[in-house]
Amino acid sequence: MGSTVALGIDLGSTTTKLVAVDATGALVHHSVQSTAPTMAQQAAALVAQARLDLGAPDAPLVATGYGRHLVQDAARQVTEITCHARGVFHATGQPCTLIDIGGQDTKVITIGAGGKVMSFAMNDKCAAGTGRFLEVAAQRLQLPIDAFGPLALEGDAEEPLSSTCVVFAESEMISLLARGVALAPIVRGLHRSLVRRVAALARGAGAQAPVLLSGGVARNPAVRALLEAELGLAVVVPPHPQLAGAWGAALLAG
Amino acid sequence: MSLLASARYHLNVDLIGNGFLRYERRKLERKLANPRPHPHLGPPLVTAAELKELISRHYLKGRYASGHKPVAWVTSGAPVEFLQALGFFLLYPENHGAVCGIRRKAEEYCSAAEDLGYSRDICSYARTDIGSVMTGKTPVGTLPRPDLLVCCTNICQTVLYWYRVLAEHFGCPLVIIDTPFVYDSASDHSVAYVLRQIEQAVEVAERVAGRSLEPDKLRQVTQLSRDAVDLWMQVLERCRHRPAPMTAFDAFIQLAPIVEMRGEDFAVGYYQRLLAALDQRIADGVWALKDERLRLVWDNLPIWHRMRWLGERFAERGVALVASTYTNAWGELAPLIDPAHPLESGARTYLHAILNRSTGHKLNVIKGLVSDYQADGVVLHSDRSCKPYSVGQIDQRGRLVGAEGVPALLLEADHNDPRSFSEEQVAARLDAFLEILES
Amino acid sequence: MVEVPSRGATIAAWREQGGGIAAVFPIHHPRALWRAYGLLPVEVWGPPVTDTSRGDARLQAYTCSVVRCGLAFLESGGLEDVDLVVVPHACDSLQGLGSLLLDFAPPRQPVITPYIPRTRDAAAAEFLAHELRSVGLRLAEITGHQPDAAAVMACNQAEAQADRQRLALFEARRHLPLTNLEFYRLVRAREYLPAQDFAALAQAALAERIDEALPGPGVMLSGLLPEPMALLGVLDRAGAVVVADDYACSGRRHYRAGSSDEPWLNMAQSLLAGPPDPTLGHPIAQRVDHLVQACQSAGVDAVIFHGVKFCEPERFDLPMVQAGLQARLGLPCVDLEVDLASPLGHQAVTRIEALVEGLS
Repeated sequence: MGSTVALGIDLGSTTTKLVAVDATGALVHHSVQSTAPTMAQQAAALVAQARLDLGAPDAPLVATGYGRHLVQDAARQVTEITCHARGVFHATGQPCTLIDIGGQDTKVITIGAGGKVMSFAMNDKCAAGTGRFLEVAAQRLQLPIDAFGPLALEGDAEEPLSSTCVVFAESEMISLLARGVALAPIVRGLHRSLVRRVAALARGAGAQAPVLLSGGVARNPAVRALLEAELGLAVVVPPHPQLAGAWGAALLAG
Repeated sequence: MSLLASARYHLNVDLIGNGFLRYERRKLERKLANPRPHPHLGPPLVTAAELKELISRHYLKGRYASGHKPVAWVTSGAPVEFLQALGFFLLYPENHGAVCGIRRKAEEYCSAAEDLGYSRDICSYARTDIGSVMTGKTPVGTLPRPDLLVCCTNICQTVLYWYRVLAEHFGCPLVIIDTPFVYDSASDHSVAYVLRQIEQAVEVAERVAGRSLEPDKLRQVTQLSRDAVDLWMQVLERCRHRPAPMTAFDAFIQLAPIVEMRGEDFAVGYYQRLLAALDQRIADGVWALKDERLRLVWDNLPIWHRMRWLGERFAERGVALVASTYTNAWGELAPLIDPAHPLESGARTYLHAILNRSTGHKLNVIKGLVSDYQADGVVLHSDRSCKPYSVGQIDQRGRLVGAEGVPALLLEADHNDPRSFSEEQVAARLDAFLEILES
Repeated sequence: MVEVPSRGATIAAWREQGGGIAAVFPIHHPRALWRAYGLLPVEVWGPPVTDTSRGDARLQAYTCSVVRCGLAFLESGGLEDVDLVVVPHACDSLQGLGSLLLDFAPPRQPVITPYIPRTRDAAAAEFLAHELRSVGLRLAEITGHQPDAAAVMACNQAEAQADRQRLALFEARRHLPLTNLEFYRLVRAREYLPAQDFAALAQAALAERIDEALPGPGVMLSGLLPEPMALLGVLDRAGAVVVADDYACSGRRHYRAGSSDEPWLNMAQSLLAGPPDPTLGHPIAQRVDHLVQACQSAGVDAVIFHGVKFCEPERFDLPMVQAGLQARLGLPCVDLEVDLASPLGHQAVTRIEALVEGLS
């Protein structure tokens, strides 16, 4: 691991990721923290501290993510689409498809040679195809989100939900419970709803193997397993799934 | 057209098919003669067996039509008489869509269309049809490829965009009959324009069919159309009786012949028998609901995928849906059909389809039905997929409740896409509305 | 850089001369018709509305924002000073708006709802000529004007000239030293300026043509209208130039002049002589051919389909059009859906920026 040549910051709506890379593109340093409401100041402080700690006051910085245009220090602002593609390509070394299920939006990016974006599709108008869908349900059922995935994989029974709208799904879920349907099949049905929407987005974007999964929801084993079944393609979670954007940004800066 | 295809048609439809369908009908008739008692609903209509046979035979004909007859896919409001007279087999994608909705296949076909990039915000009939066409799946056997597409915009502009997609996919001619919207009354130049387009459509259809339109045959078909539409109107009017011998839920199913077999003699025969059956019910005191307590009018398309659920829910509360603007649409234009001037009267008739008329006119139709059928209230289905029907309903409801003092409920749903239906929400609104009516 | 007169100043100047104002909703309508009766047509595309509650009170949530914003604007007094409201027939939702205004929510002013045919053959032209003539009779009652055949023809010719100038602006786009925002403010002045004034403005802009072509990838925008205008700013910041346009408010209304000597038929022919349009009955293949040709002659590198949510005519063609462009030109495309009452979303900005990033 060499010295820092470039920095990348992914200023997301939920978390802020900072990555430093060396000349080979390997990770020198990374950090993840919750995004503060004062994200511009937070980003500035984070970058300044990193430059100090790594002894890299002049390393170029590329900013990506929701708040990218707020980062004054950045040499360039690049979208999370382009950055994710670059970052994931570095990890896999081959053309692939990335499915990123975030808290607020879901992206499918088909990545070609050199990490170039071949096509992309985003589901951003509706919460039903994003992590929010599961968060809302978990909250309503008063279950920790980390337990949600394993619960969905318990047994084989599945209770299909007809509502794809988060609001309707919530009330449908409650009435199923009231009717005495067991919890695990309902939770599996919820996961199925989410996965179906994501798979439809992925098919529309021309997803092809190998398929990688990133974003907060990537940690959910049920999402990965059901998505695999739905797509008929192996779905792999890359190392450091949360860092793909910031890593790609750092690679583009260098 | 091929001899082999014709031979196949005659074998499968006339020889085997007819016999089989008749056997199925007799079986169903025996069953209907001893129906299982229902706590709230009266016995099913005895003609249900014949109706099933007619619909099944129609799709059976479609299955073997390719190569034997020219095939046209047409919109539900298109002037089809000249096509019938030219011997076309007519397929109605909207009707097929409704069948898919009833048989719970619509969601699958809609999803297939959405996977291909068709937005979820476009009409669910179109998505069902496009999904079915692109995947080749259908619950009715096989759909024959069209040799001609005929699109009349008197029901909406969406069919124009939808049929364009079909034309591109199938590579066959598309005839458009553009019917200027009647904001107030139809101008002479509108009628002339529609007539000219029908005449041009005839020319194209003749080329595709490889024969000329015989004036006598056209007059005959138009007469049959007129007769069927007249009879349909009478069938609907039997529901003015208190209690009603049939509900709008029955009518939604019973309208299949008028929509897809208009101009055929067996459609006339069927409605004659249906009318007789209804008269018999009235004479025998047999009603649609065992205990009819409230009467409602339905506006807009049915919710095909929830007919049974809704039917039961209304029946439990003694609520009879006695009329609908949707079923009425195929009856109210009867007086305009003139077999002596088939094309000219056709231009005028098809211009005045209810969906080609103003929001004010639609309100008048609703008011007329409330009064003629002695209804206690109106349910306006705010159909997400049908803007020409749904835009204006908020004001229509407001006027019904306000100026007319008629209770009216706006129900948000979709005629074919079950994902745009929330059972909790609909049940809650319905129950609250019925409580208001019952108090 | 030429100065584009504002909508407000134009209306005030017109009124000072004693002329009347017609507020005209989308899409196709003959500007010459209103001008012949002394009315300045001021088009209502994307009015400044952020609160659509007055529109929502009469329209379900699945109605597009062109109609919801338009109705909200009217109901909150935005069209208080006009003399006539025109809602041409274009689609089911605008049909509903026209009908609502006639039957349930009549404004103070008369409402006219001309029917524009969906086909473009001789029967359609003949119908439209009659339709326009009968609207003319109504306008005579309202305004007291009685233009003769020569006057109507003169109006046709003035509008044809203005349309030719607008087309010239698009053809010269790469050599006009204007940002995307500035360019569209200029071409959109066609929505309210009198034809002669627009033609003069366009000529002045064309006179400032430079030899070097503007740098940056070329983009085509396809949809209803370039709103929110912030979208153009995003393209400016990303360094892309909008070199071709398939917008209902501009590119799809490059009408050719009519050929008939009879002024009403001439007007109708012109209105039916624009490029392929998804609200009309054009075969999809014809539309693809047109877009391919437009992309090739303008040097387009990517296409942005900029739709308004719930707009059905735009959505049906998309899969086949995108496939056609992909197959014949290999152009990357992106799909946006906006609500005219809301600011441009972060996600839309990301899509546009990602698209342009992929071109370098």
